[in-house]
Amino acid sequence: MKKDFAKLNYYEMLDVSPDAAFFEIRHAYNAALQVYAHDSIVSYSLFSLEERKKILDLLEKAYLTLINAQERKKYDNELAQAGVALHGGKKAPAQVPKSIYDIKRWTGPAVSPKKTNKIILRESVEESEKIRGILSKPEISGSDLKEIRNELGVPLEKITQETRVLLDYLVCIEENKINRLPAEAFLKGFVKAYLKSLCLEPADEICARYVRWLESAGKTGQAEEK
Amino acid sequence: MTQIWPIGGGKGGSGKSFLTSSLGRLLAAFDKKTLLVDLDLGSANLHTMLDVPYPEKCFSDYVQKRVSRLEDIVLETPVPNLYIISGARDSLDIANLPYEQKVRTLKAIAKLDYDWIFLDLGAGTSFNILDFFLISQNSIFITTPEPTSIENVYRLVRAVYFRRIRQYFNVTEFKALEEKVVAQYGEGSFNKPDSIMRVIKTSHPKKGTLLENDFNSFKFKLVLNQLRKQNNIALGPQICKIMEKHLGFHVEFAGNVAFDDRVHDAICQRVSFLERYPYTRTAYDLRELSKNIAQSGNQQMLLRYS
Ligand SMILES: Nc1ncnc2c1ncn2[C@@H]1O[C@H](COP(=O)(O)OP(=O)(O)OP(=O)(O)O)[C@@H](O)[C@H]1O
Ligand SMILES: [Mg+2]
Repeated sequence: MKKDFAKLNYYEMLDVSPDAAFFEIRHAYNAALQVYAHDSIVSYSLFSLEERKKILDLLEKAYLTLINAQERKKYDNELAQAGVALHGGKKAPAQVPKSIYDIKRWTGPAVSPKKTNKIILRESVEESEKIRGILSKPEISGSDLKEIRNELGVPLEKITQETRVLLDYLVCIEENKINRLPAEAFLKGFVKAYLKSLCLEPADEICARYVRWLESAGKTGQAEEK
Repeated sequence: MTQIWPIGGGKGGSGKSFLTSSLGRLLAAFDKKTLLVDLDLGSANLHTMLDVPYPEKCFSDYVQKRVSRLEDIVLETPVPNLYIISGARDSLDIANLPYEQKVRTLKAIAKLDYDWIFLDLGAGTSFNILDFFLISQNSIFITTPEPTSIENVYRLVRAVYFRRIRQYFNVTEFKALEEKVVAQYGEGSFNKPDSIMRVIKTSHPKKGTLLENDFNSFKFKLVLNQLRKQNNIALGPQICKIMEKHLGFHVEFAGNVAFDDRVHDAICQRVSFLERYPYTRTAYDLRELSKNIAQSGNQQMLLRYS
Protein backbone atom coordinates (compact mmCIF):
# COMPACT_ATOMS: atom_id res chain seq x y z
CA MET A 1 0.00 0.00 0.00
CA LYS A 2 1.72 3.10 1.25
CA LYS A 3 5.27 3.84 0.27
CA ASP A 4 7.59 5.89 2.40
CA PHE A 5 7.85 9.33 0.81
CA ALA A 6 11.57 9.46 1.43
CA LYS A 7 11.98 6.25 -0.54
CA LEU A 8 10.37 7.63 -3.68
CA ASN A 9 12.68 8.79 -6.40
CA TYR A 10 12.73 12.47 -7.32
CA TYR A 11 10.45 11.96 -10.30
CA GLU A 12 7.91 10.18 -8.15
CA MET A 13 8.11 12.83 -5.46
CA LEU A 14 7.28 15.54 -7.94
CA ASP A 15 4.88 13.38 -9.91
CA VAL A 16 6.55 13.94 -13.22
CA SER A 17 7.62 11.47 -15.85
CA PRO A 18 11.35 10.80 -16.24
CA ASP A 19 11.39 12.63 -19.55
CA ALA A 20 9.55 15.66 -18.20
CA ALA A 21 10.61 18.95 -19.68
CA PHE A 22 12.08 21.60 -17.41
CA PHE A 23 8.96 23.71 -17.42
CA GLU A 24 6.92 20.68 -16.38
CA ILE A 25 9.25 20.11 -13.45
CA ARG A 26 8.94 23.70 -12.39
CA HIS A 27 5.21 23.43 -12.71
CA ALA A 28 5.09 20.22 -10.69
CA TYR A 29 7.21 21.76 -7.95
CA ASN A 30 4.84 24.69 -7.68
CA ALA A 31 1.88 22.36 -7.49
CA ALA A 32 3.59 20.32 -4.79
CA LEU A 33 4.38 23.43 -2.75
CA GLN A 34 0.71 24.30 -2.86
CA VAL A 35 -0.24 20.89 -1.49
CA TYR A 36 2.40 20.60 1.22
CA ALA A 37 2.56 24.22 2.38
CA HIS A 38 1.92 24.77 6.08
CA ASP A 39 -1.42 26.42 5.48
CA SER A 40 -2.62 23.97 2.83
CA ILE A 41 -6.06 22.63 3.66
CA VAL A 42 -5.30 19.50 1.68
CA SER A 43 -2.58 18.23 3.95
CA TYR A 44 -2.76 20.07 7.23
CA SER A 45 -4.33 17.16 9.10
CA LEU A 46 -1.98 14.54 7.72
CA PHE A 47 1.46 15.54 8.88
CA SER A 48 3.21 16.77 11.96
CA LEU A 49 5.35 19.88 11.67
CA GLU A 50 8.41 17.73 11.55
CA GLU A 51 7.08 15.37 8.88
CA ARG A 52 6.03 18.31 6.77
CA LYS A 53 9.42 19.93 6.99
CA LYS A 54 11.06 16.70 5.91
CA ILE A 55 8.76 16.43 2.90
CA LEU A 56 9.35 20.05 1.89
CA ASP A 57 13.10 19.61 2.16
CA LEU A 58 12.97 16.50 0.01
CA LEU A 59 10.84 18.24 -2.59
CA GLU A 60 13.25 21.13 -2.76
CA LYS A 61 16.15 18.79 -3.21
CA ALA A 62 14.30 16.91 -5.93
CA TYR A 63 13.45 20.15 -7.69
CA LEU A 64 16.94 21.60 -7.54
CA THR A 65 18.39 18.38 -8.85
CA LEU A 66 15.99 17.85 -11.73
CA ILE A 67 15.99 21.46 -12.85
CA ASN A 68 19.73 21.43 -13.36
CA ALA A 69 20.74 19.59 -16.53
CA GLN A 70 24.05 18.34 -15.15
CA GLU A 71 22.76 17.31 -11.76
CA ARG A 72 19.84 15.60 -13.41
CA LYS A 73 22.05 13.56 -15.67
CA LYS A 74 24.11 12.51 -12.67
CA TYR A 75 20.98 11.55 -10.77
CA ASP A 76 19.57 9.59 -13.72
CA ASN A 77 22.84 7.67 -13.86
CA GLU A 78 22.61 6.90 -10.17
CA LEU A 79 19.09 5.61 -10.63
CA ALA A 80 20.16 3.51 -13.58
CA GLN A 81 22.99 2.02 -11.54
CA ALA A 82 20.58 1.22 -8.75
CA GLY A 83 18.59 -0.69 -11.33
CA VAL A 84 15.68 1.70 -11.60
CA ALA A 85 14.44 1.65 -15.15
CA LEU A 86 13.22 5.04 -16.23
CA HIS A 87 10.44 4.39 -18.68
CA GLY A 88 9.29 6.68 -21.36
CA GLY A 89 12.64 8.22 -22.15
CA LYS A 90 12.74 10.15 -25.38
CA LYS A 91 13.38 7.80 -28.26
CA ALA A 92 14.81 9.03 -31.51
CA PRO A 93 12.17 8.64 -34.19
CA ALA A 94 12.88 5.71 -36.48
CA GLN A 95 14.33 6.81 -39.78
CA VAL A 96 12.20 5.30 -42.48
CA PRO A 97 12.45 6.38 -46.10
CA LYS A 98 9.32 8.24 -46.99
CA SER A 99 7.36 7.38 -50.06
CA ILE A 100 6.36 10.43 -52.00
CA TYR A 101 2.85 9.02 -52.27
CA ASP A 102 2.57 8.47 -48.56
CA ILE A 103 0.40 11.42 -47.76
CA LYS A 104 -0.70 11.18 -44.18
CA ARG A 105 -3.98 12.78 -43.46
CA TRP A 106 -4.38 14.41 -40.11
CA THR A 107 -7.51 12.83 -38.64
CA GLY A 108 -7.53 14.58 -35.30
CA PRO A 109 -8.94 18.02 -34.63
CA ALA A 110 -7.79 20.74 -36.98
CA VAL A 111 -4.51 22.29 -35.95
CA SER A 112 -4.36 26.02 -36.40
CA PRO A 113 -1.06 27.48 -37.60
CA LYS A 114 -0.92 29.41 -34.33
CA LYS A 115 -1.08 26.16 -32.38
CA THR A 116 1.73 24.54 -34.33
CA ASN A 117 3.84 27.65 -33.86
CA LYS A 118 3.29 27.30 -30.14
CA ILE A 119 4.37 23.69 -30.18
CA ILE A 120 7.55 24.61 -32.01
CA LEU A 121 8.21 27.42 -29.56
CA ARG A 122 7.70 25.15 -26.59
CA GLU A 123 10.14 22.64 -27.99
CA SER A 124 12.71 25.32 -28.64
CA VAL A 125 12.34 26.53 -25.06
CA GLU A 126 12.99 23.03 -23.78
CA GLU A 127 15.87 22.29 -26.04
CA SER A 128 17.90 25.44 -25.61
CA GLU A 129 20.61 25.10 -22.97
CA LYS A 130 20.89 28.85 -22.86
CA ILE A 131 17.21 29.42 -22.12
CA ARG A 132 17.19 26.71 -19.49
CA GLY A 133 20.17 28.34 -17.88
CA ILE A 134 18.43 31.69 -17.74
CA LEU A 135 15.21 30.19 -16.46
CA SER A 136 16.95 28.47 -13.58
CA LYS A 137 18.13 31.77 -12.11
CA PRO A 138 16.41 32.83 -8.90
CA GLU A 139 15.89 36.34 -10.27
CA ILE A 140 15.09 37.14 -13.86
CA SER A 141 15.64 40.57 -15.31
CA GLY A 142 14.18 42.31 -18.31
CA SER A 143 17.38 41.81 -20.27
CA ASP A 144 17.20 38.10 -19.45
CA LEU A 145 13.78 38.07 -21.06
CA LYS A 146 15.16 39.85 -24.08
CA GLU A 147 17.94 37.32 -24.38
CA ILE A 148 15.41 34.48 -24.31
CA ARG A 149 13.28 36.15 -26.93
CA ASN A 150 16.27 36.70 -29.21
CA GLU A 151 17.29 33.10 -28.73
CA LEU A 152 13.82 32.07 -29.85
CA GLY A 153 13.95 34.48 -32.76
CA VAL A 154 10.60 36.08 -32.03
CA PRO A 155 10.35 39.77 -32.96
CA LEU A 156 9.03 42.09 -30.28
CA GLU A 157 6.39 43.38 -32.69
CA LYS A 158 4.88 39.94 -32.81
CA ILE A 159 4.47 39.90 -29.05
CA THR A 160 2.83 43.31 -29.14
CA GLN A 161 0.38 42.04 -31.71
CA GLU A 162 -0.40 38.93 -29.81
CA THR A 163 -0.60 40.37 -26.31
CA ARG A 164 -1.87 43.86 -27.17
CA VAL A 165 0.65 45.27 -24.74
CA LEU A 166 2.06 48.57 -26.05
CA LEU A 167 5.43 48.20 -27.73
CA ASP A 168 6.80 51.02 -25.55
CA TYR A 169 6.11 49.06 -22.41
CA LEU A 170 7.68 45.90 -23.77
CA VAL A 171 10.81 47.84 -24.70
CA CYS A 172 11.02 49.36 -21.20
CA ILE A 173 10.69 45.91 -19.68
CA GLU A 174 13.39 44.42 -21.87
CA GLU A 175 15.76 47.35 -21.44
CA ASN A 176 15.43 47.35 -17.64
CA LYS A 177 14.11 50.91 -17.62
CA ILE A 178 12.70 50.62 -14.15
CA ASN A 179 11.55 54.19 -13.80
CA ARG A 180 9.42 54.05 -16.88
CA LEU A 181 7.58 50.86 -16.07
CA PRO A 182 3.83 50.91 -15.47
CA ALA A 183 2.31 50.32 -12.01
CA GLU A 184 3.11 46.90 -10.60
CA ALA A 185 -0.40 45.49 -11.06
CA PHE A 186 -0.27 46.25 -14.78
CA LEU A 187 3.34 45.32 -15.09
CA LYS A 188 2.70 41.81 -13.77
CA GLY A 189 -0.08 41.32 -16.28
CA PHE A 190 2.17 42.50 -19.12
CA VAL A 191 5.07 40.31 -18.09
CA LYS A 192 2.84 37.26 -17.80
CA ALA A 193 1.33 37.92 -21.21
CA TYR A 194 4.84 38.26 -22.61
CA LEU A 195 5.95 35.00 -21.00
CA LYS A 196 2.89 33.15 -22.22
CA SER A 197 3.28 34.32 -25.76
CA LEU A 198 6.81 32.88 -25.68
CA CYS A 199 5.54 29.65 -24.08
CA LEU A 200 7.62 30.24 -20.97
CA GLU A 201 5.79 28.31 -18.28
CA PRO A 202 4.72 28.56 -15.52
CA ALA A 203 4.27 32.23 -16.22
CA ASP A 204 3.15 33.07 -12.68
CA GLU A 205 6.26 31.72 -11.13
CA ILE A 206 8.68 33.23 -13.64
CA CYS A 207 6.89 36.54 -13.26
CA ALA A 208 7.36 36.32 -9.50
CA ARG A 209 11.08 35.96 -10.08
CA TYR A 210 11.03 38.98 -12.38
CA VAL A 211 9.35 40.96 -9.60
CA ARG A 212 11.99 39.74 -7.20
CA TRP A 213 14.69 40.97 -9.55
CA LEU A 214 12.88 44.28 -9.85
CA GLU A 215 12.84 44.71 -6.10
CA SER A 216 16.53 44.07 -5.63
CA ALA A 217 17.43 46.09 -8.74
CA GLY A 218 15.42 48.99 -7.35
CA LYS A 219 17.49 48.86 -4.17
CA THR A 220 20.94 48.55 -5.70
CA GLY A 221 20.23 50.81 -8.64
CA GLN A 222 21.87 48.36 -11.01
CA ALA A 223 19.38 49.01 -13.78
CA GLU A 224 19.88 51.63 -16.41
CA GLU A 225 17.97 54.72 -15.54
CA LYS A 226 16.99 57.19 -18.14
CA MET B 1 -26.78 -6.18 -12.97
CA THR B 2 -27.55 -3.96 -10.03
CA GLN B 3 -25.03 -1.27 -9.21
CA ILE B 4 -24.90 -0.22 -5.61
CA TRP B 5 -23.42 3.14 -4.65
CA PRO B 6 -22.97 3.98 -0.99
CA ILE B 7 -22.67 7.74 -0.57
CA GLY B 8 -20.98 9.22 2.45
CA GLY B 9 -18.91 12.03 3.76
CA GLY B 10 -17.08 12.52 6.97
CA LYS B 11 -19.17 15.44 8.01
CA GLY B 12 -22.79 16.46 8.32
CA GLY B 13 -24.13 19.02 5.92
CA SER B 14 -21.66 18.36 3.15
CA GLY B 15 -24.50 17.66 0.75
CA LYS B 16 -24.89 13.87 0.80
CA SER B 17 -28.66 13.93 0.64
CA PHE B 18 -28.77 16.66 -1.97
CA LEU B 19 -26.32 14.77 -4.16
CA THR B 20 -28.08 11.44 -3.60
CA SER B 21 -31.41 12.89 -4.62
CA SER B 22 -29.90 14.70 -7.60
CA LEU B 23 -28.08 11.62 -8.87
CA GLY B 24 -31.25 9.63 -8.40
CA ARG B 25 -33.26 12.07 -10.49
CA LEU B 26 -30.66 12.17 -13.24
CA LEU B 27 -30.14 8.43 -13.51
CA ALA B 28 -33.86 7.71 -13.39
CA ALA B 29 -34.15 10.04 -16.37
CA PHE B 30 -31.81 7.69 -18.27
CA ASP B 31 -34.72 5.26 -18.12
CA LYS B 32 -33.13 3.13 -15.43
CA LYS B 33 -34.94 1.87 -12.37
CA THR B 34 -33.26 3.72 -9.55
CA LEU B 35 -33.69 3.25 -5.82
CA LEU B 36 -32.53 5.61 -3.09
CA VAL B 37 -32.16 4.19 0.40
CA ASP B 38 -32.10 6.65 3.27
CA LEU B 39 -29.86 5.05 5.86
CA ASP B 40 -29.09 8.29 7.64
CA LEU B 41 -31.45 7.05 10.30
CA GLY B 42 -32.29 9.49 13.03
CA SER B 43 -31.93 12.45 10.68
CA ALA B 44 -33.43 11.00 7.57
CA ASN B 45 -34.63 13.65 5.17
CA LEU B 46 -34.21 12.24 1.70
CA HIS B 47 -37.98 11.88 1.32
CA THR B 48 -38.35 15.65 1.69
CA MET B 49 -35.87 16.31 -1.11
CA LEU B 50 -37.93 14.00 -3.32
CA ASP B 51 -41.24 15.51 -2.33
CA VAL B 52 -42.58 12.43 -0.59
CA PRO B 53 -43.83 14.32 2.49
CA TYR B 54 -45.54 11.51 4.38
CA PRO B 55 -43.86 8.17 3.71
CA GLU B 56 -46.35 5.44 4.64
CA LYS B 57 -43.67 2.84 5.14
CA CYS B 58 -40.25 3.14 6.61
CA PHE B 59 -37.05 1.29 7.23
CA SER B 60 -38.09 0.68 10.85
CA ASP B 61 -41.09 -1.32 9.62
CA TYR B 62 -38.56 -3.72 8.17
CA VAL B 63 -36.17 -3.71 11.11
CA GLN B 64 -38.99 -4.31 13.56
CA LYS B 65 -40.35 -6.97 11.23
CA ARG B 66 -43.76 -5.44 10.71
CA VAL B 67 -42.87 -5.96 7.05
CA SER B 68 -40.81 -9.01 6.20
CA ARG B 69 -39.49 -8.20 2.75
CA LEU B 70 -37.36 -5.12 2.03
CA GLU B 71 -39.08 -4.79 -1.37
CA ASP B 72 -42.31 -4.09 0.42
CA ILE B 73 -41.17 -0.86 2.02
CA VAL B 74 -40.09 0.65 -1.30
CA LEU B 75 -42.14 3.74 -2.12
CA GLU B 76 -42.77 5.44 -5.41
CA THR B 77 -41.75 9.08 -5.85
CA PRO B 78 -43.27 11.72 -8.15
CA VAL B 79 -40.30 11.08 -10.47
CA PRO B 80 -40.82 8.25 -12.97
CA ASN B 81 -38.42 5.30 -12.41
CA LEU B 82 -37.29 6.70 -9.06
CA TYR B 83 -38.05 4.85 -5.83
CA ILE B 84 -37.14 5.40 -2.23
CA ILE B 85 -36.79 3.51 1.01
CA SER B 86 -37.40 6.15 3.61
CA GLY B 87 -35.90 6.35 7.04
CA ALA B 88 -38.28 9.06 8.07
CA ARG B 89 -39.96 7.72 11.15
CA ASP B 90 -36.96 5.92 12.53
CA SER B 91 -35.78 7.00 15.91
CA LEU B 92 -33.10 4.35 15.64
CA ASP B 93 -29.55 5.45 14.95
CA ILE B 94 -27.81 3.30 12.35
CA ALA B 95 -24.87 2.92 14.72
CA ASN B 96 -27.17 1.01 17.04
CA LEU B 97 -28.65 -1.31 14.46
CA PRO B 98 -28.30 -4.78 15.98
CA TYR B 99 -25.87 -7.11 14.22
CA GLU B 100 -28.48 -9.58 12.92
CA GLN B 101 -30.58 -6.74 11.56
CA LYS B 102 -27.62 -5.23 9.83
CA VAL B 103 -26.65 -8.49 8.14
CA ARG B 104 -30.25 -9.14 7.17
CA THR B 105 -30.52 -5.65 5.66
CA LEU B 106 -27.21 -5.86 3.81
CA LYS B 107 -28.16 -9.17 2.27
CA ALA B 108 -31.60 -7.90 1.30
CA ILE B 109 -30.17 -4.76 -0.33
CA ALA B 110 -27.65 -6.81 -2.27
CA LYS B 111 -30.51 -8.85 -3.71
CA LEU B 112 -32.80 -6.00 -4.75
CA ASP B 113 -33.55 -5.79 -8.41
CA TYR B 114 -32.86 -2.24 -9.60
CA ASP B 115 -30.45 -0.81 -12.13
CA TRP B 116 -29.00 1.61 -9.62
CA ILE B 117 -29.21 1.76 -5.87
CA PHE B 118 -27.83 4.71 -3.91
CA LEU B 119 -27.38 4.55 -0.16
CA ASP B 120 -27.43 7.86 1.72
CA LEU B 121 -25.25 6.92 4.65
CA GLY B 122 -25.05 9.93 6.88
CA ALA B 123 -21.95 11.08 8.69
CA GLY B 124 -19.75 9.14 11.04
CA THR B 125 -17.51 6.10 11.08
CA SER B 126 -19.46 3.62 13.17
CA PHE B 127 -18.95 -0.03 12.23
CA ASN B 128 -22.45 -0.25 10.85
CA ILE B 129 -21.93 2.64 8.47
CA LEU B 130 -18.62 1.17 7.34
CA ASP B 131 -20.25 -2.17 6.64
CA PHE B 132 -22.72 -0.49 4.35
CA PHE B 133 -19.85 1.10 2.43
CA LEU B 134 -18.37 -2.35 2.02
CA ILE B 135 -21.48 -3.75 0.34
CA SER B 136 -20.07 -2.64 -3.00
CA GLN B 137 -16.69 -2.03 -4.60
CA ASN B 138 -17.74 1.48 -5.39
CA SER B 139 -18.40 4.32 -3.02
CA ILE B 140 -18.81 8.04 -3.35
CA PHE B 141 -17.20 10.24 -0.73
CA ILE B 142 -18.31 13.82 -0.49
CA THR B 143 -16.36 16.68 0.95
CA THR B 144 -16.61 20.44 0.93
CA PRO B 145 -13.59 22.69 0.50
CA GLU B 146 -13.17 23.05 4.24
CA PRO B 147 -10.25 21.61 6.19
CA THR B 148 -12.55 19.92 8.70
CA SER B 149 -14.53 18.20 6.00
CA ILE B 150 -11.39 17.09 4.16
CA GLU B 151 -9.87 15.76 7.36
CA ASN B 152 -12.98 13.71 7.99
CA VAL B 153 -12.87 12.21 4.52
CA TYR B 154 -9.33 10.95 5.17
CA ARG B 155 -10.57 9.48 8.43
CA LEU B 156 -13.57 7.87 6.78
CA VAL B 157 -11.66 6.29 3.90
CA ARG B 158 -9.08 4.99 6.34
CA ALA B 159 -11.85 3.55 8.49
CA VAL B 160 -13.35 1.73 5.51
CA TYR B 161 -10.00 0.11 4.69
CA PHE B 162 -9.50 -0.74 8.32
CA ARG B 163 -12.97 -2.25 8.58
CA ARG B 164 -12.32 -4.46 5.58
CA ILE B 165 -9.24 -5.84 7.29
CA ARG B 166 -11.23 -6.39 10.47
CA GLN B 167 -13.84 -8.42 8.58
CA TYR B 168 -11.29 -11.12 7.80
CA PHE B 169 -10.51 -11.92 11.41
CA ASN B 170 -12.36 -13.01 14.48
CA VAL B 171 -11.99 -11.21 17.79
CA THR B 172 -9.10 -13.26 19.18
CA GLU B 173 -7.18 -13.31 15.91
CA PHE B 174 -7.60 -9.59 15.62
CA LYS B 175 -6.39 -9.00 19.16
CA ALA B 176 -3.28 -11.06 18.44
CA LEU B 177 -2.74 -9.12 15.26
CA GLU B 178 -2.97 -5.84 17.11
CA GLU B 179 -0.31 -6.95 19.57
CA LYS B 180 2.01 -7.96 16.77
CA VAL B 181 1.59 -4.70 14.92
CA VAL B 182 2.21 -2.64 18.03
CA ALA B 183 5.25 -4.74 18.91
CA GLN B 184 6.68 -4.23 15.45
CA TYR B 185 5.75 -0.66 14.60
CA GLY B 186 5.12 0.91 17.97
CA GLU B 187 2.23 2.49 19.79
CA GLY B 188 -0.28 4.16 17.50
CA SER B 189 0.65 2.10 14.47
CA PHE B 190 -2.44 -0.04 14.80
CA ASN B 191 -4.71 2.57 13.30
CA LYS B 192 -2.56 2.69 10.20
CA PRO B 193 -3.84 0.18 7.66
CA ASP B 194 -0.47 0.00 5.94
CA SER B 195 1.43 -1.20 9.00
CA ILE B 196 -1.28 -3.76 9.69
CA MET B 197 -1.11 -4.96 6.10
CA ARG B 198 2.64 -5.45 6.34
CA VAL B 199 2.21 -7.70 9.34
CA ILE B 200 -0.68 -9.61 7.76
CA LYS B 201 1.35 -10.32 4.66
CA THR B 202 3.88 -12.27 6.70
CA SER B 203 1.64 -13.74 9.39
CA HIS B 204 -1.46 -14.51 7.25
CA PRO B 205 -0.22 -14.49 3.65
CA LYS B 206 -3.46 -15.94 2.22
CA LYS B 207 -5.65 -13.36 3.86
CA GLY B 208 -3.09 -10.73 2.90
CA THR B 209 -3.50 -11.59 -0.77
CA LEU B 210 -7.28 -11.60 -0.55
CA LEU B 211 -7.24 -8.24 1.15
CA GLU B 212 -4.92 -6.80 -1.42
CA ASN B 213 -7.26 -7.99 -4.13
CA ASP B 214 -10.14 -6.35 -2.31
CA PHE B 215 -8.26 -3.07 -2.02
CA ASN B 216 -7.32 -3.18 -5.67
CA SER B 217 -10.95 -3.70 -6.58
CA PHE B 218 -12.13 -0.65 -4.62
CA LYS B 219 -13.29 2.03 -6.98
CA PHE B 220 -13.88 4.93 -4.67
CA LYS B 221 -14.81 8.34 -5.96
CA LEU B 222 -14.43 11.74 -4.42
CA VAL B 223 -16.84 14.59 -5.07
CA LEU B 224 -16.01 18.11 -4.00
CA ASN B 225 -19.31 19.78 -3.25
CA GLN B 226 -20.10 23.43 -2.60
CA LEU B 227 -17.05 24.68 -4.46
CA ARG B 228 -17.14 28.47 -4.42
CA LYS B 229 -15.63 30.80 -7.01
CA GLN B 230 -12.69 31.70 -4.81
CA ASN B 231 -11.79 28.05 -4.19
CA ASN B 232 -8.98 26.28 -5.95
CA ILE B 233 -10.45 24.01 -8.61
CA ALA B 234 -7.46 21.69 -8.28
CA LEU B 235 -8.30 20.94 -4.66
CA GLY B 236 -10.16 17.68 -5.39
CA PRO B 237 -7.40 16.16 -7.52
CA GLN B 238 -4.86 17.25 -4.90
CA ILE B 239 -6.79 15.48 -2.16
CA CYS B 240 -6.89 12.28 -4.20
CA LYS B 241 -3.22 12.47 -5.02
CA ILE B 242 -2.18 12.94 -1.44
CA MET B 243 -4.33 10.02 -0.31
CA GLU B 244 -2.68 7.84 -2.91
CA LYS B 245 0.80 8.97 -2.04
CA HIS B 246 0.76 9.15 1.72
CA LEU B 247 -2.03 6.82 2.76
CA GLY B 248 -1.96 4.34 -0.10
CA PHE B 249 -5.69 4.70 -0.78
CA HIS B 250 -6.85 4.89 -4.34
CA VAL B 251 -9.71 7.36 -4.69
CA GLU B 252 -10.61 8.76 -8.07
CA PHE B 253 -11.67 12.38 -8.35
CA ALA B 254 -15.15 12.42 -9.89
CA GLY B 255 -15.74 16.14 -10.11
CA ASN B 256 -16.60 19.43 -8.48
CA VAL B 257 -20.14 20.57 -7.78
CA ALA B 258 -20.38 24.33 -7.61
CA PHE B 259 -21.95 26.14 -4.68
CA ASP B 260 -25.21 27.87 -5.50
CA ASP B 261 -27.47 29.72 -3.06
CA ARG B 262 -30.48 28.54 -4.99
CA VAL B 263 -29.89 24.96 -3.81
CA HIS B 264 -31.20 26.15 -0.47
CA ASP B 265 -34.16 27.86 -2.15
CA ALA B 266 -35.04 24.76 -4.13
CA ILE B 267 -34.89 22.54 -1.05
CA CYS B 268 -37.05 24.95 0.93
CA GLN B 269 -39.63 25.07 -1.84
CA ARG B 270 -39.37 21.30 -2.19
CA VAL B 271 -38.78 21.50 -5.93
CA SER B 272 -36.07 19.83 -7.95
CA PHE B 273 -33.07 22.12 -8.25
CA LEU B 274 -32.15 20.45 -11.53
CA GLU B 275 -35.50 21.23 -13.05
CA ARG B 276 -35.85 24.68 -11.60
CA TYR B 277 -32.34 25.91 -12.40
CA PRO B 278 -31.11 23.70 -15.24
CA TYR B 279 -28.73 26.29 -16.67
CA THR B 280 -26.65 26.86 -13.56
CA ARG B 281 -23.08 25.71 -13.12
CA THR B 282 -24.24 23.46 -10.28
CA ALA B 283 -26.81 21.70 -12.46
CA TYR B 284 -24.21 21.26 -15.17
CA ASP B 285 -21.76 19.78 -12.66
CA LEU B 286 -24.40 17.37 -11.38
CA ARG B 287 -25.17 16.16 -14.89
CA GLU B 288 -21.48 15.60 -15.58
CA LEU B 289 -21.19 13.70 -12.32
CA SER B 290 -24.14 11.49 -13.20
CA LYS B 291 -22.50 10.62 -16.51
CA ASN B 292 -19.29 9.73 -14.72
CA ILE B 293 -21.22 7.44 -12.38
CA ALA B 294 -23.29 5.91 -15.17
CA GLN B 295 -20.17 5.00 -17.10
CA SER B 296 -18.31 3.20 -14.37
CA GLY B 297 -19.42 -0.32 -13.81
CA ASN B 298 -19.01 -1.92 -10.45
CA GLN B 299 -19.55 -5.15 -8.68
CA GLN B 300 -20.82 -6.02 -5.31
CA MET B 301 -18.34 -7.07 -2.72
CA LEU B 302 -18.36 -10.50 -1.29
CA LEU B 303 -20.25 -10.01 1.95
CA ARG B 304 -18.15 -11.49 4.69
CA TYR B 305 -20.90 -12.63 7.01
CA SER B 306 -21.94 -16.16 7.77
N1 LIG C 1 -23.87 22.55 -4.17
C1 LIG C 1 -24.48 23.20 -3.17
N2 LIG C 1 -24.61 24.56 -3.23
C2 LIG C 1 -25.20 25.23 -2.24
N3 LIG C 1 -25.71 24.67 -1.14
C3 LIG C 1 -25.62 23.33 -1.02
C4 LIG C 1 -25.00 22.53 -2.02
N4 LIG C 1 -25.05 21.25 -1.62
C5 LIG C 1 -25.67 21.25 -0.42
N5 LIG C 1 -26.01 22.50 -0.05
C6 LIG C 1 -26.66 22.94 1.19
O1 LIG C 1 -26.16 22.20 2.27
C7 LIG C 1 -27.21 21.78 3.08
C8 LIG C 1 -26.94 20.38 3.56
O2 LIG C 1 -27.11 19.49 2.47
P1 LIG C 1 -27.57 17.99 2.72
O3 LIG C 1 -28.75 17.93 3.60
O4 LIG C 1 -27.64 17.35 1.39
O5 LIG C 1 -26.28 17.50 3.51
P2 LIG C 1 -26.05 16.10 4.23
O6 LIG C 1 -24.62 15.80 4.01
O7 LIG C 1 -27.05 15.12 3.78
O8 LIG C 1 -26.29 16.51 5.73
P3 LIG C 1 -26.66 15.51 6.95
O9 LIG C 1 -25.37 14.89 7.36
O10 LIG C 1 -27.18 16.46 7.98
O11 LIG C 1 -27.65 14.55 6.43
C9 LIG C 1 -28.47 21.85 2.26
O12 LIG C 1 -29.49 22.38 3.01
C10 LIG C 1 -28.14 22.76 1.12
O13 LIG C 1 -28.77 24.02 1.31
MG1 LIG D 1 -28.54 14.00 4.80
